[in-house]
Amino acid sequence: MAQEDISFTDLIASTIHDMKNSLNVQISELEKVAAQCRERGDTQAYTDLGRVIYQSNRMNSNLIQLLSLYKLGKSIYPIDISEHAIAEVIEDGLLQSRSIMEFKGVAISVECDPGLYWYVDRDLITGVLTNALNNAYQYTADKILVAARVANGMLELRIEDNGHGYPAHMLLQEGIEAAKGINFLSGSTGLGFYFSSQVAQMHKNGTRHGTLSTENGGAFGGGCFVLRLP
Amino acid sequence: MSASLTQARILVIDDFQGMRTMLRDFLRAMGITRIDTAASGKEAISQLRSAHYDIVICDFNLGLGANGQQVLDEARMHDHIGVSTIWVMVTAEKTTDMVMGAAEVKPDDYLLKPINQKLLETRLEKLIVRKQALRGIEEAIRAKDFMAAIAQCDQQLKAPGVVNPQEIQRIKSELLLTVGDYDAANALFQSVLAARSVPWAKTGLGKVAFHKGQYAEARDLFQQVLAENRMFMEASDWLVKTLDAMGDAEQAQQVLLDAVKLSPNSATRQKSLGDTALKNGALDVAQAAFEKTIKISEFSPHKSPSAFTGLARVFTAMDTPEEALKVLARGKTAFRDSPEAAIQTAAAESAVYKKMGDTEKSEAAMANAEQLMAALPGKVNPEVAMEVAQNLLALGRKEQASDLMRDLVKNNHENATISHQVEALFEQADLGAEGRSLVQESQQEVVAINNQGVLLAKKGEFLEGAKLLRSAVQNLPNSEVVIMNLCGLLIGLMRKEGKTDALVHEVKGLLERVGQLNPANKKYHLYLDAINRGE
Repeated sequence: MAQEDISFTDLIASTIHDMKNSLNVQISELEKVAAQCRERGDTQAYTDLGRVIYQSNRMNSNLIQLLSLYKLGKSIYPIDISEHAIAEVIEDGLLQSRSIMEFKGVAISVECDPGLYWYVDRDLITGVLTNALNNAYQYTADKILVAARVANGMLELRIEDNGHGYPAHMLLQEGIEAAKGINFLSGSTGLGFYFSSQVAQMHKNGTRHGTLSTENGGAFGGGCFVLRLP
Repeated sequence: MSASLTQARILVIDDFQGMRTMLRDFLRAMGITRIDTAASGKEAISQLRSAHYDIVICDFNLGLGANGQQVLDEARMHDHIGVSTIWVMVTAEKTTDMVMGAAEVKPDDYLLKPINQKLLETRLEKLIVRKQALRGIEEAIRAKDFMAAIAQCDQQLKAPGVVNPQEIQRIKSELLLTVGDYDAANALFQSVLAARSVPWAKTGLGKVAFHKGQYAEARDLFQQVLAENRMFMEASDWLVKTLDAMGDAEQAQQVLLDAVKLSPNSATRQKSLGDTALKNGALDVAQAAFEKTIKISEFSPHKSPSAFTGLARVFTAMDTPEEALKVLARGKTAFRDSPEAAIQTAAAESAVYKKMGDTEKSEAAMANAEQLMAALPGKVNPEVAMEVAQNLLALGRKEQASDLMRDLVKNNHENATISHQVEALFEQADLGAEGRSLVQESQQEVVAINNQGVLLAKKGEFLEGAKLLRSAVQNLPNSEVVIMNLCGLLIGLMRKEGKTDALVHEVKGLLERVGQLNPANKKYHLYLDAINRGE
């Protein structure tokens, strides 16, 4: 291949492709070892591995977000907003996080009408959900609720936990772009919020677009991550 | 776990050993026992050829050689997989080429890495259910029985608790366009758009306008879709088609340049860019586009010799005919089994030798092309015919070129794209006026025959009309319009004077020919229905 044929996007994409292959195999092998530890009754190793797997999942989710953001920024992301059963999208997101939840003994509940259909880019929303679940996992005591419903003509997707809630500087008001509300230096979660708010913005219907906000309270009195899509 | 999943025979295609093993382990853990693996596209094709698989899980990126989409294309093209086979594409990232590319055959679903066992299992279970729901429709479509497919869509849309109403509506709208029921298609798109601006429905409206010949309206609609959603490649492809029909090659080139930036690996689109840029004299753009076309379609079952002849023309125009000959030699090797490709390459060679001033070789190459073409009477496609005509003109053999093009236009007298291309071809040989009058006269001749046939039918003189159109069909074996008008006359004749086996047989033969030329012909299904119901 001639030098000028290699575009930076292709290079990033192929490198990420390669890294994700490795991560995928690594996570799957670690899960296998963890299951063996549990069978042997080695709880210490089991929980330790859980933390390692959690970190691998985070890396993976960051890789997806970086690549997606790069492509969104260059307007080359193949955004594909179509009708999906939201319960299924939630299920997809949960499946990717289910194993780590077991390590920490976190109980996840879902409140979503199986007949609820909405217009979303399935992969982007799954990415937002995975990121929100990773955060909730880190801050929750032992409970997470994923709830979806339609309110005021918008799909409202909430991820709530029973931890201590968001510190004041991380509370995002709806309508304010996350990019302005977030200082990258102040928290490690800047990427996830930035990604999620970009995804919210991409979801448009007529003159309205999606929004992201964070609150404290909700069903468990902890942190609430709220995505609203028109 | 459903029984149909545990009993499924599955093929896993991945070039990465670790992924293959992992996917196989996942499937085994689900209780599936019949699992094969393949490490490359080549290996996969030979396995798909020798066994029937219920499910194929295929990585999009397979290293060197064919990619996952090309493996799917080839498997579908040669019927190695049936309608019931579920094809899941696995990928590290979503790309435009994959999701909205020019692929004719789409996988049933794609899975983004990382994949775990639960995710794979849930997805496969859902796909089995979905595939079963759509099976009747898919089978009817593959049998080209579009009316039955539409009826099945309606039935499913009425059924309570239908899981994927929008998908079925979308399939139905495509079918309505295929059978030429533009009013029904229009109504369907409008009803979807009343609730929300959905790109496929708006693009659909544009397609309706295109088919009705309302090009300016179609162009505006496609441009609106792209303004709202620039990644919606289907609208871009239709916009190019519309601009082509309007004769606006400059703007078509711009749209194509934007499109290949977003989706660089579609061979169809790159080829189209090459053709358009060559027409506009943008030789650098054309060269790059044709070279890219050749490169990305190397392993594709849809590759075309025109990319080679196009590139040869670019080199000739650049005053490097030696390069052109090299390209044509490569083309010959790549298509050594295709007689059509041989005609096209020989005609192109003739032009190159002409440019080099070697009249003897130039005429020999053209004689070769003509000889090959004579062996395939009435069967060469428009692209090949135009290539030959263009080079005949270059050799100063205007008569032969005109005969060939007259035939082409008459056989496709309602096809604006072909008319424009023929006009452009004469224009390039500085015979613009002659080209325009050739196109016009040819069209008028066919229109006049058709009108006369219709007039005779109205007067009830079916026999006279049939006689006229039968002789027209003899001269224009590929004109769907004339053939269909003859069918209409014969059906009218039978209604008036009673059915005979000979007439039914004749109509069926004519319909079969149209079915091959263009199964999307609007009247084709109406007449087929009529004749099958014995009316």
